[in-house]
Amino acid sequence: MSIARGMVLQRRRGAALLLAVLSPTLLLTGCLGDQLRPLPGLNQRLSQLGNGHDPALSGRWLALIAGQQGRQQVQLIDLERGLPVPLIGLNRPDSQPLSVAVDLSGERLVVVRQREDRTELVLHRRTLMATERLPIEPAGVPRQISLSADGRLLAVEVSRGGIWQVDLLELP
Amino acid sequence: MALVLLLVGCGPLGLRRQPAPPGALGAENREQPALSGDGRLLASLVERGGRSTVLLQDRRSGQVLPLPHLRDHQPHSAPSLSWTGRYLALLIQQGPHRQAVLQDRASGRLLPLMLPAGREPQRLSLAADGRRIAIELLDDGQRRVELFDLSGLLEPDLAPGLRQSGGGEVLP
Repeated sequence: MSIARGMVLQRRRGAALLLAVLSPTLLLTGCLGDQLRPLPGLNQRLSQLGNGHDPALSGRWLALIAGQQGRQQVQLIDLERGLPVPLIGLNRPDSQPLSVAVDLSGERLVVVRQREDRTELVLHRRTLMATERLPIEPAGVPRQISLSADGRLLAVEVSRGGIWQVDLLELP
Repeated sequence: MALVLLLVGCGPLGLRRQPAPPGALGAENREQPALSGDGRLLASLVERGGRSTVLLQDRRSGQVLPLPHLRDHQPHSAPSLSWTGRYLALLIQQGPHRQAVLQDRASGRLLPLMLPAGREPQRLSLAADGRRIAIELLDDGQRRVELFDLSGLLEPDLAPGLRQSGGGEVLP
């Protein structure tokens, strides 16, 4: 191999190595400067609900926990109309919601809430106005949740004996 | 790894419980589960090298899907998946700040989601079709939820047979 050809190959290897090292950074900074486009009308409606946290977006529905400090409730916003819809029987004065998930039809909501001295997991069917407790077995303390779009599969983060685990539940 | 369904009693809800696909390291903490809209994929956080790392798995087989562009940006948090899991939104660490990013698994692109200055993202929820994202922000000590439009940035990740609709906002 000639010296010149050897130098070319060495340069190519060096460039490939540099690209491999930098590629995650290059990919990440490729679009810097392009800010996300907010949805001002909807965001103004959300700000009227007070402080909000734990959003769950599913199709035309946004579920979140919102309200003034000490009076936080589960809210379900119909994004096509920009308005909250009633959740009759879900929010209770003796419970504090911690996280929420909603299915694509906006019919099923799953909520983790603190009630008296326990943390419970409940399924709310909106048109039936029915809320049922979902048992956690073996016993544990639920925290974050995620619901599939059809509302049939639920993933729950559960603390058991100091270890965080993920339970998968098929809902009827 | 076959998924075994366990019928949990004959409670009023007819709840069926599934074991989550095991992590590669056996019994370990697993947090912040996120299902894809179709329920096929599960993202969760596990500890790798002392740092919180997102693990993306096929729920049925347990197969771990590679996310090479996220490898050097731990700790990860707040994963959220689109309908088929093509898009994974999450928070990564970039220097002293948490950065919201979106990984397109089809193209390998890692897209930074740039927020207005002074707002720290805390949680994310990506719409199943990938056309909007809800972000819980910490702004001047207050938690609030804002919606952003992704329709100009991403191809939609649609469920089979679902009609395509606009990603912006239409308010009465």
